[in-house]
Amino acid sequence: MDGTLVAAATARTAPAIRKVGVVGAGVMGAGIAAQVANAGVPVVLLDIVPGGAAKAIERMLKTDPAPFMHRGAARLVTPGDVGTDLALLSDCDWICEAIIERPDAKRELYAKLEGVRQPGSIVSSNTSTIPLAALTEGLGDGFAADFLITHFFNPPRYMRLLEVVRGPQTRAEAVAAITAFGDRTLGKTVIPCKDRPGFIANRIGGLWMQSAINRAFDLKLTVEEADAVMSRPLGIPKTGVFGLLDLVGLDLMPHVAASMKATLPAEDAYVLGLREHDVILRMIAEGRTGRKGKGGFYTREKGPAGESLKRAIDLWTGEYRASEKAQLESLSLRDLRALAEHPDRGGRYARAVLLDLLGYAASLVPEIADSVADVDAAMRLGYNWKYGPFELIDRLGAAWLAKALAEDGRPVPPLLRQVGDGSFYRVQAGTLEYLGTDGGWQAVPRPEGVLLLADVKRRTTPLARNGSASLWDIGDGVACLEFHTKMNAIDPGTVELLGKAVALGKKGTIKALVIHNEGEQFSVGANIGLALFAANIAAWGEIEGLIEQGQKAMLALRNAPFPVVGAPSGMALGGGCEILLHCDAVQAHAESYIGLVEVGVGLIPGWGGCTAMLRRWAENPRAPKGPMPPVAKAFEMISTAQVAKSAFEAKDMLLLRQTDGITFNRDRLLADAKAKALSLVEGYAPPEPKPLRLPGETGRVALAMAVRQQQALGRVTPHDIVVCEHLAQTLTGGRKDHTEETTEAELHALERRSFMALLKTPATLARVEHMLETGRPPRN
Amino acid sequence: MPTYNAPLRDMRFVLTELAGTERLRGLPGCEEIGPDLVDPVLEEAAKFCSEVLLPLNQSGDAEGCTLENGVVRTPKGFVEAYRSFCDGGWTALGADPEWGGQGLPKSIGLLVEEMICSANMAFGMYPGLSHGAYAALEKHGTPEQKALYLPKLTSGEWAGTMCLTEPHCGTDLGLIRTRAVPAEDGSYRITGTKIFISAGEHDLTANIVHLVLAKLPDAPPGTRGISLFVVPKYLPTEDGRPGPRNGVTCTGLEHKMGIKASATCAMAFDDAKGWLVGRPHKGLLAMFTMMNEARLGVGVQGLGIAEIAYQNAVSYARDRIQGRGLDGTKAPDKPADPILVHPDVRRMLLTMRAMTEGCRALSAMAALEHDVSLRHPDPAARQAADDFVQLMTPIIKAVFTDTGWDAAVLGMQVWGGHGYIRDNGMEQFARDARITQIYEGTNGIQALDLVGRKLGAHGGRYLRSFFHPVLAFIEAKSEEPAMEEFILPLSKAFGRLQQVTADLAQRGLRDPFEAGAGASDYLRLFGLTALAYAWARMAEIALDKPDAFYKAKLATARFFMQRILPETSSLAAKVLAGGETLKAFEDAAF
Repeated sequence: MDGTLVAAATARTAPAIRKVGVVGAGVMGAGIAAQVANAGVPVVLLDIVPGGAAKAIERMLKTDPAPFMHRGAARLVTPGDVGTDLALLSDCDWICEAIIERPDAKRELYAKLEGVRQPGSIVSSNTSTIPLAALTEGLGDGFAADFLITHFFNPPRYMRLLEVVRGPQTRAEAVAAITAFGDRTLGKTVIPCKDRPGFIANRIGGLWMQSAINRAFDLKLTVEEADAVMSRPLGIPKTGVFGLLDLVGLDLMPHVAASMKATLPAEDAYVLGLREHDVILRMIAEGRTGRKGKGGFYTREKGPAGESLKRAIDLWTGEYRASEKAQLESLSLRDLRALAEHPDRGGRYARAVLLDLLGYAASLVPEIADSVADVDAAMRLGYNWKYGPFELIDRLGAAWLAKALAEDGRPVPPLLRQVGDGSFYRVQAGTLEYLGTDGGWQAVPRPEGVLLLADVKRRTTPLARNGSASLWDIGDGVACLEFHTKMNAIDPGTVELLGKAVALGKKGTIKALVIHNEGEQFSVGANIGLALFAANIAAWGEIEGLIEQGQKAMLALRNAPFPVVGAPSGMALGGGCEILLHCDAVQAHAESYIGLVEVGVGLIPGWGGCTAMLRRWAENPRAPKGPMPPVAKAFEMISTAQVAKSAFEAKDMLLLRQTDGITFNRDRLLADAKAKALSLVEGYAPPEPKPLRLPGETGRVALAMAVRQQQALGRVTPHDIVVCEHLAQTLTGGRKDHTEETTEAELHALERRSFMALLKTPATLARVEHMLETGRPPRN
Repeated sequence: MPTYNAPLRDMRFVLTELAGTERLRGLPGCEEIGPDLVDPVLEEAAKFCSEVLLPLNQSGDAEGCTLENGVVRTPKGFVEAYRSFCDGGWTALGADPEWGGQGLPKSIGLLVEEMICSANMAFGMYPGLSHGAYAALEKHGTPEQKALYLPKLTSGEWAGTMCLTEPHCGTDLGLIRTRAVPAEDGSYRITGTKIFISAGEHDLTANIVHLVLAKLPDAPPGTRGISLFVVPKYLPTEDGRPGPRNGVTCTGLEHKMGIKASATCAMAFDDAKGWLVGRPHKGLLAMFTMMNEARLGVGVQGLGIAEIAYQNAVSYARDRIQGRGLDGTKAPDKPADPILVHPDVRRMLLTMRAMTEGCRALSAMAALEHDVSLRHPDPAARQAADDFVQLMTPIIKAVFTDTGWDAAVLGMQVWGGHGYIRDNGMEQFARDARITQIYEGTNGIQALDLVGRKLGAHGGRYLRSFFHPVLAFIEAKSEEPAMEEFILPLSKAFGRLQQVTADLAQRGLRDPFEAGAGASDYLRLFGLTALAYAWARMAEIALDKPDAFYKAKLATARFFMQRILPETSSLAAKVLAGGETLKAFEDAAF
């Protein structure tokens, strides 16, 4: 039976984990402890080096990207020393070991743990190389029953894969408890693995890297060419292979190679393919180990005018040269098979690596995992690949792969022969299925309580749809509004569908709405490319019309006679943030990055964002009384384009309410949001916003003075001043003052006026253009 | 025989009153630009064109070029005319003083070019191509290459060419087959065949400097693998004189519809020695940097033809008497009225005039921005000006050359049957003008350049250089009653252009076929709106001025607004209709 299903079935009855211990405060151990703390669970972090754990916490508070989601999370971590503080682990339900990769050292530690840990507690190792049997040796049946391997990926907060290996003696309840905790509390996708070297992701990923390097040398590709082929065409992150090595460190490779060589049979393709390259050995010897060292395959140098020049290594001379964009005809091909059949060196390279990678992966099921679905999930989550190896095989054609392997005189794995000219996946009656090793089709397993929009979309047709967004029925009278533009930028089509959703709700077709999508980013805000183009052709009337329509759509959302719940994951910026600000409630993925960033492109929030933030602060019981504090708070946040780096930070910034929910596992976000929406249905009445009293001219002057002080300190650019002046005028209520009420309509008019005035300035247009072309706002 | 009087009054108007010489004088190297400098240059050019070039136009057309044993002879009188052209310093007009040039801005150079094209477009090809070679070497050559070639090209002692096209490829240069193999001395050996090479071989100069596109052995495929080489006909000696003959020969002359006095050559490069210009594989990029100037130049060829066709149509319409005016007899002392009185003849003449003067105005505006883009000390100002030039270049090339052809055809029409007779010279204008719509990127390619490259570039930033000033002008003048008859139609056309631009950009983004389907009509819509802007600005200057010149300007402006600009409405409808009918038609049914 499938391992995931076992875990899912037992998840609900698993004993709770209320306190965690982590031993070993290296990058992995400390990172795991931080993620446990992020989830609000107290954690003890011990290190062999006295004071090492406390130092690790200090270090993590300064790391970017931050291991902690919130400064407060660090307070949940209790540091200690292995030598003196082992007793701190006595009330931990789970002790995770992440010390040096030496079996004897680990066993020695486990023996000590046996003296302090409470009965029924679970012990796991974060080892990535040592077989489970070698770890439990000599520690007794009781220990073996409580022991398993939990393999996290670096950095533990951000990588969503957790590989779990159980031994023959491991208790089912222990597996279930760790699976449930990993899934629901830590937000990881738990993939059961066999006790084989490198488990799933590193076994296959390691072979891929090795093959991608060897073949680049064999076929004489430049590093740029190799990385261009080994990225977008295969759905692999743009770092490709050499860029990835720079990221993880070149010096790691010999260690991984040695460990694989020691644990895998000599005839394994991984071992057979191990090769040393003089250039790489020399780079390691010279400390050119990648981004953490003195450059790697790529490096940056200062040019004659002080500009940063990208350089790349010549794989044959070991010397740096100017980096050049790869120019291969094969790279222009969209179809993976066409790429692999193209005669140029890019095509031959793609073919060679794909044959190595996919042939190997197909030979490893069921050796390393029970199902191809588990292998694919591990590669997607552990290496950020868009497609796992079996999904890649389906794109290429299993028969094509088998034929190509045979042509090259290489073995065709039995699994591949079994598929024949079929595929590894199919959609049957709206359900995604994979081919089991027994030749039967099985539904791709979803843990209990997981609701994926992708599954809904396979089963049903949308209630409404246009080129920018779709409205889906997710059951129980709840609809889900999905954006599907590039980066989920909001355009007139999105606004139109927002309106349609509200209309359907008014008719009673739906009783609650969730705004959610499964894109990388919830929404990066309004489509500024459209706005820029319209501004360049001086279509001012149209632009102002769009702003007004956006404001109306936001109000329609808020005033709708049914609850609306926003469910963001990833970035929710600008207009994306304004949508959340107008929802009745938000259920946010913990990894939500929310903010009003309009000033970065020389604009101010125009879809009610200024108004909504004023109201959030005015209604906040913790904020000081009077007309000025809400204005000052909103101004501070918007004028500096602050972005919350987690859902927790968003609560601090009032971008989320205290009552808004946070979900750690992205796959559970939609279900949680739906539940939240349903909980609001009974007796729902739209909010009735209170009018605001704003300070008017005196407040504007005060803010202007503050900005000028910043200018004197050289912190703001000339155009920042212009933008801030418009923002100040809007937030302070224009001509009104605190003696009278400023209506929402008046504030929206002020937002529009400032937005339009700013959009007409060349400096704002230059910012928008720069942002679109480089992804960064310029300093002008 | 056609006559030609250079339109000096109108040229001074567009240069000083419309575009404005103050802005020009603010540019480094242009401080002295004023009537004292400009007037003698224009007058001398006018004299040279009328007295030396025009008389050779018809004879050159009749005689054509001849090829014998690889030697090309230009028509009788061309060698002498070219010599006095060089002696007069006309080859050096726009060249850098560092190389012996006069350093005059494009704003003046284009006016002179127009006169040359009116008087003898075929002759103008020779110095025109040399200037292209000059520009390429000045921008991309090594210091040694510049020192060797630029003084000779400036003085006109040597001529230049551009060798791009091959028998199997013109528009799609990624397909070229000419090869360049590195030699041990740092030079290259070039082998291949080029066709349609203007001025590829002739007897005007002691040497010819060919700029050749070829592929290096390690070239990436497509347009990213093309390199540029300089290949002289005679290999220069140490002291810079023509030395041994290089492996480049003219193997044939094309028999063409027009510009017969311009030698259009098939060239064979057989292990010819050449040197790399610019960086390897970046040849097309190097050519692109000169493309704007070359395309503006071709646009001005169209303008030149339109002008001379108009002048000769008017003089014929005044002399030819035929029938009586529909609104009463105009010349009772004669057996019939001059055909000038007939409404349809007036329609033709005013159409020619309104388009020609509008194009001249637009060309002056573009030339000024071109000068600013090259010379202004502030990079932001340079960029804004360059944006305008980038945007207007395909429009000018296509609209001006269409105007040249239309005017030449209308000129023939005014002449009736006599326009069809070779000796009268009117049909030559049509034959000469026709090529301008084709070469240097067909007008269809210009339209694709506009919608494919210029519209979307930098989020539409190029468009800003047109739309913002035009809207500002409309808003500034909308309260002036005297301007209403110009501002209202301009603002209508402008609104249409905005709407169609947004629509085409959005549809084109989704489906490039849609952008291509609307491109040519869109370009003309844009061009007519730009001309309307030019006319409204000219009308503003001409308002309330009693001088006949300004009265005629206002009258022509009215004609343009009422009788030409409404075309924008049908053009907009055509673009908005989309490309479905083009796509749906079965290939086999053609």
